[in-house]
Amino acid sequence: MKKTPHPEVIPGTVGEGLLQRGVTRREFLKFCTAMTAMLALPPAMAEVMAAAISKARRQSVIWLSFQECTGCTESITRSHSPTLENLIFDLISLDYHHTLQAASGEAAEQARMQAMKDNDGKYLLIVDGSIPLGNPGFSCIAGISNHDMLVETAKGAAAIVAVGTCAAFGGIPKADPNPTGAVAVSDIVKDKPIINVPGCPPIPVVMTGVLAYFLTFGSIPELDSLGRPKSFYGDTIHDRCYRRPFYDQGKFAQSFDDEAARNGWCLFKLGCKGPVTYNACATTKWNDGTSFPIQSGHGCIGCSEPNFWDAGSFYKALSMPVSMTPSMLGAAAAVGAAAGVAITWHNRSTKAAAKAAHEKVTVQELTREEK
Amino acid sequence: MTASLSKGINSFKEVIDAPIASFFSSCVHCGLCAEACLFYTTTGDPKYTPIHKLEPLRRVWQQEYTLLGKLGKMLGLSKPVTDAELAEWEPLVYDSCTMCARCAMVCPVGNDMTYMIRKMREGMAASGHAPAGLVGASTRSVEIGSPMGVRLPAVKAQMKHVQADTGIEIPLDVMGAEYMVLMSSMEIINFPEYLGAVAKIMKQAGKSWTLCSEAFEATNSGIQIGASDIARVLVQRIVDGAEKLKVKTVISPECGHAFTALRWEGPNLIGRPYTFEVLHILEVLDGFRSAGLLKTTGFEEARLTFHDPCQLVRRGGVLEQPRNLLKLVAKNYVESADHGKMNWCCGGGGGVSAIEEAEPLRLQAFKIKKTQLEETGAKTLVTACANCRIVLEEGLEHYHMNIPVVGLTEMIAAHLTQEKEAR
Repeated sequence: MKKTPHPEVIPGTVGEGLLQRGVTRREFLKFCTAMTAMLALPPAMAEVMAAAISKARRQSVIWLSFQECTGCTESITRSHSPTLENLIFDLISLDYHHTLQAASGEAAEQARMQAMKDNDGKYLLIVDGSIPLGNPGFSCIAGISNHDMLVETAKGAAAIVAVGTCAAFGGIPKADPNPTGAVAVSDIVKDKPIINVPGCPPIPVVMTGVLAYFLTFGSIPELDSLGRPKSFYGDTIHDRCYRRPFYDQGKFAQSFDDEAARNGWCLFKLGCKGPVTYNACATTKWNDGTSFPIQSGHGCIGCSEPNFWDAGSFYKALSMPVSMTPSMLGAAAAVGAAAGVAITWHNRSTKAAAKAAHEKVTVQELTREEK
Repeated sequence: MTASLSKGINSFKEVIDAPIASFFSSCVHCGLCAEACLFYTTTGDPKYTPIHKLEPLRRVWQQEYTLLGKLGKMLGLSKPVTDAELAEWEPLVYDSCTMCARCAMVCPVGNDMTYMIRKMREGMAASGHAPAGLVGASTRSVEIGSPMGVRLPAVKAQMKHVQADTGIEIPLDVMGAEYMVLMSSMEIINFPEYLGAVAKIMKQAGKSWTLCSEAFEATNSGIQIGASDIARVLVQRIVDGAEKLKVKTVISPECGHAFTALRWEGPNLIGRPYTFEVLHILEVLDGFRSAGLLKTTGFEEARLTFHDPCQLVRRGGVLEQPRNLLKLVAKNYVESADHGKMNWCCGGGGGVSAIEEAEPLRLQAFKIKKTQLEETGAKTLVTACANCRIVLEEGLEHYHMNIPVVGLTEMIAAHLTQEKEAR
């Protein structure tokens, strides 16, 4: 077998870091191939990605956490270490992250200011959590309100990754009645490219995939109308679900402990939101590809969709887009009903007029007058 | 007063109901109905695609009952239905549709084309685009009392012949009889065996029955031409007769569309339920059989097969009864390909046999019946519809096939255990 020569190792790059940590080239290429596949890039891009990532300077990353539960951070850190995903994270320069950094107080803020200054216009800003607009005191760090910190830090960022449903769409803090006036990152920052990586929490490999893309191409991946990378959020859970054939055959579990549930039939009638949820759970799965909620016997709750918390019960079968709020749904239903009534009324009157105009057909009237 | 385009269009608007609207809006243009159609499969001409036969009706639906269609009509984007167009469609709606409903069986979205053709014919008749043959039949039905012009004296004459042949008195206008027997004029004129067979069977079963002097004719040209106003008059005659004689059950004869007219359309036409039951003769005979009232001896030796009349098997659900009855008297009974629910039409149903201009096409369409028959190798063809019977006989003669066609009722009657043996 022909041995692939090691690419040039440049000091201070990701490639050097990987080598120092004992990551073989083979393992690294496997990672890059998996990433290109996941991002739906042509296979040839694996080499390009490997070359680009190994030569890349450690990307400065500032991670800001606002109104959140730290679940997104947990998701990334719990991704089976040591995997390459973790290493990539080690090998970026994570200059600021509340939960993970050793520094505290003034020193911590100092690190953020330093990173912003050193990498002005080049650093990547990752945000998890929503931002309260109701009262600055609802959530602040080192005396700085979330809003001010976001605006300040976003100024010099190359791009922003809004990780988790809270940062991407407002998430649970924004759920009715939204006591803090929570909003998403995209509601505040309008002048920077924003990649939404929703999920409560998002899949670790989706977060690393987005980073790998950014490191390789220096740009953001193709996004859908909600700012989500199409490669991960292009299909619904339902379309990729291994239980889909049961749905097509009309085989549904009616309760969580019936025979149908034990046979692994479709959970749609138990409230699964798979049909209206765009995410990669059914393909990449969780916990190193072990399983995902539907495989474990529970329907999808649609956590990566906007307003998922306000879309009615998780256990009520629903086939409407969860991104609509109840009031919007009500309004849409009212408009639809009104249009229906109007059209029906018009059609009924057409038919009634036709009935009224009916002239009895007798056998004498079956022929026309010859013209 | 004469038929006119405006009456026809008005009639289209009148007949378009929820089923028709949903059928038109759910058609996926797959063309499967073409493959099921007798006339498409034997000619290969796409104009015989069943859903295409409904095109003028579809346009009226679109122009009158859909939002885009209304807009289009307002802006003059869609062409109105014209007399010329309806004249062009006349052969499609009448000559080449026997309302056999085979297309409705295969439609993946469940469109009932037969239902729509039946409704569309309302507008065709009202606009004067019904074939002369059916206009004549309808006129005779209303004015004389039978599409073939049969009057009561002719029926009485036949009753006398049958009485002489069988030695059984044929009851007429008997109050409170259990069964009132109807006939099709085809049976009165061409197949007098039917009345004799019924008399023998009723006698053996020990049932009271009667003919009715005011309502002996079962066929309904109004259904065929597609004029509910006329169909209603004809159904009302039977209802009046049956209610006057206070019978329990009216027996529809060996005729397909008469059964559809009386059993399924009738109550809707007169706007109320009957006070009596309507059964097809085969349903009555099978009922006798299972009650042990039908005793037969001997078997038909010849290889024979059964032609399922469309209106009985597809529109009427009479599927098992003829087979149960055939087993009583036939040793060598074979099923043809596509028998039962998917049986091919004789080619003359839905009034087509009364349309003179349709004959060449009908004989061409008969090829499929011919092949179906030849494959069975049957020497005798049994059926339970006088119209099928005459159309089959004509087709077999045209193709020089020497296969006799027999009505099932008379075949059963021929095997009834003689009284002496029975005792």
